[in-house]
Amino acid sequence: MRVEPAQPCQFGSGGSLFGLYHAAAGGARAAVLLCPPLGQDMVRSHRVYRQLADALAQQGIAALRFDYFGTGDSTGASDACDWERCTADAVAAAAELRARSGCTRLIGFGARLGGAIALEAAGAARLAELLLWDPLLDGHACVARLDAMQEALRADPMRFSAPRSREDAAGQWLGFPVGADLRRQLDGWRAAAATVPVRVFDSQPAEARADWRAQLGAGTEVAALSSTASWDVLDRLEHAILAPDLVRAVVDRLRVAA
Amino acid sequence: MSAERAFRFGRAHHLVGVAGLPEPAGAAAPVGVIVLNAGMVHRVGPFRLHVEITRRLNASGYPTLRFDLSSLGDSSAADESRTQAQQVNADVADAMDLLASQAGCSRFVLLGLCSGAQNAHGVAIDEARVAGAIFLDGYAYRTLGFRLRHYLPRLWSAARWRRFISRSLQARSGPGDDVFAVRFPPRDQVQRELALMLDRGLRLHFIYSGGVTRYFNHPRQFRECFGRLADRPEVSARLFAGTDHTYALQVDRQRLLDDIAAWLRDNFPISGGSNP
Repeated sequence: MRVEPAQPCQFGSGGSLFGLYHAAAGGARAAVLLCPPLGQDMVRSHRVYRQLADALAQQGIAALRFDYFGTGDSTGASDACDWERCTADAVAAAAELRARSGCTRLIGFGARLGGAIALEAAGAARLAELLLWDPLLDGHACVARLDAMQEALRADPMRFSAPRSREDAAGQWLGFPVGADLRRQLDGWRAAAATVPVRVFDSQPAEARADWRAQLGAGTEVAALSSTASWDVLDRLEHAILAPDLVRAVVDRLRVAA
Repeated sequence: MSAERAFRFGRAHHLVGVAGLPEPAGAAAPVGVIVLNAGMVHRVGPFRLHVEITRRLNASGYPTLRFDLSSLGDSSAADESRTQAQQVNADVADAMDLLASQAGCSRFVLLGLCSGAQNAHGVAIDEARVAGAIFLDGYAYRTLGFRLRHYLPRLWSAARWRRFISRSLQARSGPGDDVFAVRFPPRDQVQRELALMLDRGLRLHFIYSGGVTRYFNHPRQFRECFGRLADRPEVSARLFAGTDHTYALQVDRQRLLDDIAAWLRDNFPISGGSNP
C-alpha cells in the first residue's frame, strides 16, 4: 500500500513545536505518539524513529514525531529545555495527533528519557498504552551518569588534542547546554508505577537489564531485543543508534494489538 | 522578528527543511544561507549546531535554510537516475528555489561541515547562484610543514607519546567506522576548482577545527596547500585549535558562530539592504 511522505508541521503555542506527521496507508486504524529522548540520544535515534514511523504508517497506523521546546527544530534555545515543558509538549503533541489522525485512542512510544516523558504525560495526554525502549526511570542516576560522561568527554583524547578545562565543559551534557531547571527537575524525578499498560523493549546486555516490573508495576510486559544499543558509550557518541529488531518488535506488537 | 517555517519541497517533493525568514531589512534581499548535512546527522546538525548557526544568522537579517539532502534525515530519495554528485547539485538547486520563493534571495552562501563542506564545494563549482561558501573542515592536504609540526614535537615529549599511543590504541580497538570519514580528491584538482570559483567572484571562508589535526595543524598550512590562491582577498582561512571536529562544547560553538557571523557581515553586508 502506498504511504504518503511524512508531512512537516508546526503546532503548539504560536507554532513553537516542530513535528512530522506520518499519515497511515488507507486511513488510520490506530495512532502512535513518538516521544523523542533528549540531548544526543535524540540525534542518535532520529533514524530509528523515522524508520519506526514509516513502518507503522505502512501498517495503517498513523504516527507523529516531534521535538520538545528547546530541542531539534522546535523553537527555544537548548538550555531552555525544561522537564515540565517537555511533558506539556507531549500532551500538546497528543492533541495534534488526535486532530490529524482522527484516532481517539493513542499509544505512546519513547526511548530513554523519551520513555520517561511518555510515562509522565500518559495521564494528561490520555495515552492508552506505552511502549518504552530502554527507558530511564531514575532521574538522579541519569544526572550522575551524564555528569560523569561529560567529565570523560572533556578529557577524551579521541576528541580533544588536550583536555579541556572544567569551566569550558560546565553546564553541559554531551554537547548540549543544560539549564539549572532541567538539571534540578531531572535530579528529583523518579518514575512512579505506570497507570496504563506498559511494554518495555530492552536492548541492554543481559547482565545490565533492569527489573522493570519492580519499577513500573507487576503487569509490565518485557521484550528482550537481540541487538544492544550503545547509548552510554562515549566512543559511539556521534554514531546513529541502529535497531532493526526494535522496529520489527514494535510493529509486530501493534499489528496484533491495533 | 524572525520566523521559521518547515517545508516539504523539491522536484520530487522529497526534501524536508526549515527556513528561517527574518523581516526584510531593505529593498534588496540579502544573500540566503543554505546549510548542508554534516555526515549522516539530520538537518539540526551535530549537537544542534545548524539550528544555532541559522538562528544567529536570522537575527542578523540573513534568510537561511537547513535541510536534509535526498535519503538523509527526513528527506526521501527522488527516485531518479543520477550520480550522487548530480543528486546533491539538484537538491541544493531545489533548496535555492525554495529560499528564493520565500525570501526573495537570488544569491546564496553555502555552509557545510565535513561531508557538508565537500558537497558545498561540489555545488559551488558550477552553480551560478552561489556567491560564497563557508567550509568547516573542508579540503586541505598534508604538507612538509604539517609533517614537521606534527612529528618533531613528539620526538621529545613523553606526554605526547603517551597521548599518541592512547589515541592509536583507541582507534585500533574501535569499530573503525568513523562517522565523519571523508575521502578527498587530488590537491591539484581542488586547487584548480577553487581558483575558478574565485575567478567567478565567489568569496570563500575555510574554518578548520582542532579535530582534524591529522591533516591540518597550523593557519599557515592553507597557504602551504594552495599557494598564491591563499593570498587572494576573496578567500580566508582560520584554525580553531583545541576544539573538536563537531564543536561539542558551547564555548567553541560560540566562537564559531561569532566567526561565521562576522565573515558574512564583512563579505555580504546587509546594511542598506544590499550585498556586493
